[in-house]
Amino acid sequence: MKKRLTLALTATVAAGLLLTACAGTPAETGAPSTPANENTTAETTAPEAGGKIAVMMSHMTNEFVTTVAEAAKAKGAELGYEVVVFDGKQDASTQVTQIEQAVTQGFKGILVEPVSTDGVVPGLIAANDAGVPIATLVQRASEQDLAATYIGGDEVNAAKLQMTEAIKAIGGSGNIGIIYGPMGSDAMLSRQKGYQEVLAENPNVKVAFEDTANWVTAEGLQLVENWLSTGTELKGIVSQNDGMAVGAVQAIENAGQKGKIMVFGIDATADGIAAIKDGGMQGTVSQDTPGIGRLGVETMDKIIRGETVPPEVLTTAQWITAENVDTVGK
Amino acid sequence: MTKSADRSLGSFAKDAALAAIFIVLVIALTLASPNHSFISVNNILLILVQTSINGILAMGMMYVIIAGQIDLSVGSIVGLSGVAGALFAQGGGSPVIAVLIGIVVGLGVGLLNGVGVAYGQIPAFIITLGTLTAVRGLALMVSGGAPVAGLGKDFRELASGRVLGIPLLAIYFVIIVAIAAFVLRRTVFGRRVYALGGNPVAAAVSGINVKRLTVVPFLIAGGLAGLAGVLLASRTFTGSPTAGVAYELDAIAAVVIGGVSMAGGRGKAFGVVLGALMIAVIANGLDILGIDSNAQQLIKGAIIVLAVLIDVKTRRD
Repeated sequence: MKKRLTLALTATVAAGLLLTACAGTPAETGAPSTPANENTTAETTAPEAGGKIAVMMSHMTNEFVTTVAEAAKAKGAELGYEVVVFDGKQDASTQVTQIEQAVTQGFKGILVEPVSTDGVVPGLIAANDAGVPIATLVQRASEQDLAATYIGGDEVNAAKLQMTEAIKAIGGSGNIGIIYGPMGSDAMLSRQKGYQEVLAENPNVKVAFEDTANWVTAEGLQLVENWLSTGTELKGIVSQNDGMAVGAVQAIENAGQKGKIMVFGIDATADGIAAIKDGGMQGTVSQDTPGIGRLGVETMDKIIRGETVPPEVLTTAQWITAENVDTVGK
Repeated sequence: MTKSADRSLGSFAKDAALAAIFIVLVIALTLASPNHSFISVNNILLILVQTSINGILAMGMMYVIIAGQIDLSVGSIVGLSGVAGALFAQGGGSPVIAVLIGIVVGLGVGLLNGVGVAYGQIPAFIITLGTLTAVRGLALMVSGGAPVAGLGKDFRELASGRVLGIPLLAIYFVIIVAIAAFVLRRTVFGRRVYALGGNPVAAAVSGINVKRLTVVPFLIAGGLAGLAGVLLASRTFTGSPTAGVAYELDAIAAVVIGGVSMAGGRGKAFGVVLGALMIAVIANGLDILGIDSNAQQLIKGAIIVLAVLIDVKTRRD
């Protein structure tokens, strides 16, 4: 009896696997190109929406990632998918294990926010081998052509927008301080690249201080306190995320210099938005965080149904100040 | 008699050596800083503020380590109590009650740690490693993984306010150090903590209720961590569930630099305060000099090892 049940179960799982294998060929050929998708449509008769989509987040410990995940879930429910969110716990090998498991558990598609651009590659290969379509979210993989597509913001562009607007706001010249994310992390490097491009065109702006605060508010606060302690005159502080920018705002207020030094962030998270409304922070960049989750599931739905998708699906970056802060879409 | 004289001489030599390192560090940073800005009144107040959170944690850790135990959970308590206090303050609650909530949260975790160690016979390293993980998870669950923002002016004033130009955080720190040092050196309870860490068997024979006494240092560490969590939330104006990650290590570092023996039974609040100040001074001074934070970690590590080396070399009883 038990044996028969096991057999029946195995058969079902095998059938399920076979089905998913047929349904998700786009990534198999390596490139997210049209022919692969055409093959899919030819082999299986009109694949249908529905089933499970895995959303693999790098971690679940800040507002950015939770917002992306929630938006993905909501969109999934709307389109008739069950969206399951996995927490990669900032560990590349955990994430690869999760992808491998999802592949064997009948997920129709996988959206992954890589913990590490290189570390995620074995997971992409595993999904491709099993024929489960996989796309990257928020951040690209180092071998991005193994993924069906990329959905997210353009970090370099967002950083360029931030630095350009910041320089405009401080009047085009003077000393600034830059607060980085964890040194060597991918977001830190691409945002830094954007800064450098803009700074190269603005020789009158001098970077007086730059150091990391590891995305952490308390560290940003302390760092800026210490910068201000030197007595060096600063016109603005450009932070690679809102959390650290909020710390800078606190430091400036504590030093009684509110309004004298402008602070700029990226991400448009709730703490940053609150600081803009409060007047402590002058601007932030919204990369449409919930939009990343929504677009991710929408795009995966298209892939599952055999439609062609472009190799990059980008959200638009928008500069948020006190003037338009109330219009920031949820 | 001679032995205790030797010991106090050794202890004096150690304090002196530690103070000497600290003074050399301060002089070096002063000379190196532009316009000697390191030694300005504002910067000295700033260093006190920057010492305070870790200093408060270190006071609790000091009791735990002198009692021969360890508490790895304080950093996670900072996160949970900060979120709890901020959630309460977000609804317009009084900041004083937010602080009390934070302290109660910390006491709760401390009780769990202490009872687990004393009555459950679980090694402190293990149970506090468990609570380190579990409490962080709880902080993330309670806050939904996002920082709790939008806190009122009153709540901000709690840590960022000033009295006669002196930051409140620095004042809290000084008061807590004074109480912690007094209780440790001048009360029966304090002497029993030393006895417990020095030789638990002898302590039991001399009539101390060892199990009950073992719980108390964990309560102190937990309660102070709860307080520190709400103060940090007030200072950063955000109750972040990820606040306080690895703070337990800085607290342990302050205690160890301060000459408290990891084996228990020895150490003084004076040294621990110096240890906490030293950690803050390194970060502050090197930021002012524009030295990046990776090098700062290197220097901090070297000082921890140097301090323990001095501890070993000056211990000759």
